[in-house]
Amino acid sequence: MHLLYLACGALLLTAVLVLWRRELAVIIRVFAVQGAALAVLVGVLAAQENSAELWAVAAGVLVLRAGVLPYLLRRALAGAGETRRETRPLVNVSASLLAAAALTLLAYAVSQPLVELAPSAATQAIPVGVTVVLIGFFVLVTRRRALSQLVGFLLMDNGITAVGFLTTTGVGLVVELGVSLDVLLAVLVLQVLTTRMRETFGDTDLDELRELRD
Amino acid sequence: MNLVATGMAAAVAIGLVTALVAVVIRPRAAVVGAGTALTGAAAVVAGAAATGGGSFSVVLPGVLPLSGVSLTLDPLGGLFVAVTGGVAAAAGIYAMSYMDTPDLRARGVQVALPVFVVAMVLVPAAASAGTLLVCWELMALASLVLVVAEHRRGPQVASAGRWYAVMTHLGFVSVLIGLMVFVAHAPDDSFTALREAGRNLSPSAAGIVFTLTLAGFASKAGIVPLHAWLPRAHPEAPSHVSALMSAAMVNLGVYGVVRVGVDLLGGGAVWWWLLVLALGAVSAVYGILQAAMSSDLKRLLGQSTTENMGLVLVGVGAAGLFASSGDQALAALALTAALLHVVGHAAFKTLLFLAAGSVLHATGSRDLDALGGLRPVMPVTTAAFGLGALAASALPPGTAFVSEWLLLQALIHGLPAGGVAAAIAMPVAVAAVALTAGLAVATFVKAFGVGFLAKPRSAAAAGAHESPFTMLVGMTVAAAVCVVLALWPGAILPAVQAAAGGAAVSGDVTLRLSRATGALSPLLLTLALVAGFVVVAGAFAGRRARREARLWDCGGGPMSARMEYTATSFAEPLQRVFDDVVQPELDVDVSHHQESRYLVQAVEYRRKVPDRIEKRLYRPVLALITAWGRAGRGLAPGSVHRYLGYGFYAVCGVLILLAVTR
Amino acid sequence: MSALGIVGGVVQPVLIVAGSPLLVGLMRQVRARLEGRAGAGILQPWRDLRKLSRKERIEPRGTSDVFRFAPLVLVATTLVVAVVVPFVTTESAVDPVADLFAVVALLALGAVALALAGLDTGTAFGGMGASREMTILALVEPTLLVAIFALSVRVGSTNLGAIVSSTLHDPARVISPASLLAAVALVVVIVAETGRIPVDNPSTHLELTMVHEAMVLEYAGPDLALVELAAAMRLSVFLGLLANLFAPWGIATTATPPAVLIGVLALVVKVGVLGGLLAAAEVFVAKLRLFRVPELLAGSFLLALLAVAASFFLA
Repeated sequence: MHLLYLACGALLLTAVLVLWRRELAVIIRVFAVQGAALAVLVGVLAAQENSAELWAVAAGVLVLRAGVLPYLLRRALAGAGETRRETRPLVNVSASLLAAAALTLLAYAVSQPLVELAPSAATQAIPVGVTVVLIGFFVLVTRRRALSQLVGFLLMDNGITAVGFLTTTGVGLVVELGVSLDVLLAVLVLQVLTTRMRETFGDTDLDELRELRD
Repeated sequence: MNLVATGMAAAVAIGLVTALVAVVIRPRAAVVGAGTALTGAAAVVAGAAATGGGSFSVVLPGVLPLSGVSLTLDPLGGLFVAVTGGVAAAAGIYAMSYMDTPDLRARGVQVALPVFVVAMVLVPAAASAGTLLVCWELMALASLVLVVAEHRRGPQVASAGRWYAVMTHLGFVSVLIGLMVFVAHAPDDSFTALREAGRNLSPSAAGIVFTLTLAGFASKAGIVPLHAWLPRAHPEAPSHVSALMSAAMVNLGVYGVVRVGVDLLGGGAVWWWLLVLALGAVSAVYGILQAAMSSDLKRLLGQSTTENMGLVLVGVGAAGLFASSGDQALAALALTAALLHVVGHAAFKTLLFLAAGSVLHATGSRDLDALGGLRPVMPVTTAAFGLGALAASALPPGTAFVSEWLLLQALIHGLPAGGVAAAIAMPVAVAAVALTAGLAVATFVKAFGVGFLAKPRSAAAAGAHESPFTMLVGMTVAAAVCVVLALWPGAILPAVQAAAGGAAVSGDVTLRLSRATGALSPLLLTLALVAGFVVVAGAFAGRRARREARLWDCGGGPMSARMEYTATSFAEPLQRVFDDVVQPELDVDVSHHQESRYLVQAVEYRRKVPDRIEKRLYRPVLALITAWGRAGRGLAPGSVHRYLGYGFYAVCGVLILLAVTR
Repeated sequence: MSALGIVGGVVQPVLIVAGSPLLVGLMRQVRARLEGRAGAGILQPWRDLRKLSRKERIEPRGTSDVFRFAPLVLVATTLVVAVVVPFVTTESAVDPVADLFAVVALLALGAVALALAGLDTGTAFGGMGASREMTILALVEPTLLVAIFALSVRVGSTNLGAIVSSTLHDPARVISPASLLAAVALVVVIVAETGRIPVDNPSTHLELTMVHEAMVLEYAGPDLALVELAAAMRLSVFLGLLANLFAPWGIATTATPPAVLIGVLALVVKVGVLGGLLAAAEVFVAKLRLFRVPELLAGSFLLALLAVAASFFLA
């Protein structure tokens, strides 16, 4: 119970930190912590349900989200050269933090009916998952660097996974496996894209893609 | 005849006699001022008696055609009558010498002052929609005359008058339509009948009535986005009138919202009160943000009125929200906080405007960037403004601290009460109130520190002198009320609770919440502070005399007043932080020496903080109206026959229409 | 007014006044050691105060009573807070003042007094410091009050005694997400309010960066001693508040000498540890530009709001 809520708190905190910090390296580290928190969350649910399948999922989440994905991101960053900071997000940092505050309240409002369907300790935490999804989406929309957008995308995915586990306590091993592979693929594709972009433009500012239209 | 009736009769009679005397013999300002003050005093007696349980009711069918006049005074109305009377008493005494200028000695101005006060006293006493509207309009017209009293000073006064006239009448029309829709569902226009009808009103009709009246009343209270007239009219009016408008007239907007929304319509949907809460929160933050950027002393005070009315509406909205979720005790707490803030705001805003008027009287300037150094030459005014600034910045031991404390308590304890709406609204409201409080502190530190302390920034400020005796008395009355409200709010708490319709706070010296654990004793807090001060002073205060020394000037010789921080520079960091919200217009001109362009000769910096809401909302509307006017110009060629013809054609058209449809 | 409250009301101010310069000394010492210096010892602030208070009293030309009384008001407000807040004993000497809002407002009043003194000198430095201080104060307020909101929601009261005893009775609450988030938000607030790195640097006199020091530039001798003492007291009061809101263990619940002694020791240890941690963290952090501070405060506001949200999401 307590551990579950703490894990949720950590999910929230890491999402906020991704929004707050500018250094891409820090963002990736924070993202890894969030992966670990997600794994703890699934682990707690596994302990509650006493299901071996969920334990396996938890281990999978830990390996993928706290290990493999951050590793891939870090490698992409190492190749990125000078652009290690998200210098000018489309919405400035203070404003995006306030926007995140609004998103939290929105998430709470929209997920209330969902919680009332089956009030339990786990479903109470659904708004946290929804908040992480919304913040992830926000990062995806407002950041310039391809890498931080990627983190935004992954944040969304973390949020969706959290909501999934909190609502049904069992998406099933197969589904989770499929989703994980999807995510991995997406990251790899985007990584390739980033590399190509840098070779073409010498930068990974996605705003430059606008030039392709002309 | 009981005390309430006697007081009301005396107030109206003295006011009207003063007006009559002013019409007939054009007396000295002292007579009109004294008459106004007496009117106010009588109103205070009547209002206080009404909140104490006295009641009075009178119907005069012959006075006005169609509806007649009917008056009654319940505790809610009584509170507002008493507040209006108190402000009028202080402002009246002050006006005895302040009105002694050629502009203000004009007959119209002298007549308008007591009429304005009488109208404001009658608005909360009105017991029918017709009476309310008549008094409301009388109040608007009298105040309009007073706003443009000093029109010789410059074109900006006339412009302020135009803005005020247009907006106050649009607001009047809105209230009028709203009440007409309401009255259409009732047998007659008395409030008793309306109260009865309000219970059976369909939600959509009630919603229309509430929204329309809210728009009208909110514009009177200076609530964003209908606030545009307020920072124009309040500074341009003579200072005692500013005090009356800012401390008494705006309250009647709040009175209207409470009377119609809570009393006549009997609560209502959740969205009404969320709307009120949101309007209040936005007004509070936006008002104080504008005030923080302002360097015109009276404009700053006007904008702070918007802020305070916003805080009051936050309380009213929260009260409505709690009431609609069934928590009457909490609703009473929130409404008590709101009404207590109305009373406190009336006291300190009167004090601040009177002190600002005193500065204007002595220096001829309202520009903070040209003031400063007034403390040695105007000690009473400085002390008065300092006290008012402390009260307005919601710090202990100030007046607003108690009411904001109650407001925050209501908001905090409201979280479990109201479901999802409250869960989202309450934290946001607390944040808004907190940001408002923080910015208010910065604003009033600026107003007091830059305006009164340090060295004079202009010759006018250096040559200032203390104001005449009656002006000081007016300020002292307001200051005394401020001090009592700050230290012993228990004194007026029964009256406020009677008006709020529920006892949520008990106690005399120590205020205790009856629904939750929470207690605050402003008096003990102040005593503790004084004791602490005495202990520290006793331990550290020097027995040796102080040696005067030069200020640290980096070795560059004596510092001149031009090196001081001004109000503009004081507000610069805040302006940069809220850059995206206020969007200031900056203009920096750097001129170089002719010999070398690396040497700067002069830097000119101009900053204007335009009202962004006004720019976005009003300009398009005004442009549209201008375009309409242009389009209609073809109809007005200047021929009188043509104009008469329009009337003739219209009459014929209506008659034909009637003949056809019958 | 109970015996326990009176004991607290006497012991606490004495402890805070005597101990706060030592806290500053301790923090400077920690910094010095971490930066590879020997340091002046933790008694140095007391020696400085003694030296300053023996000096001549100076009155800068053109200043008024506001300037002279401001240090007294500043110390008085902090002293009142030291008396009423449950630092050593759970009950307060003046319970109707021991309200979180009242305490926060009292501390703000002290800052206002100093800002007015800064403006009163009529120097550019004074005005600059006052302007910056008020800007930060205005921005800190929402975070502070929302964090208070988060703490008081679970207790149903803003009375400090009630909050502290509720945490004592239910220690598990402390590690809930709501209180952890609120704690982080409050730490940022305290850093801003007490003028520590990264918001303000207490040891700088560079006009581009100083905030607090710019306001008090004209003070000298005994007045400066008062200002310095008050700054140290504010720091210890804030840290003590933080410690007892989240970890009130050890606080005296009865008026017996051993319990009070344990209460004193617990407070000293907690505040000492917090001060040491703060000083250690300062070594690794650079001062923020003034216009980056709002970002920091917006972040901590978000955390405070999340704390409120978490207190009813996860309740």
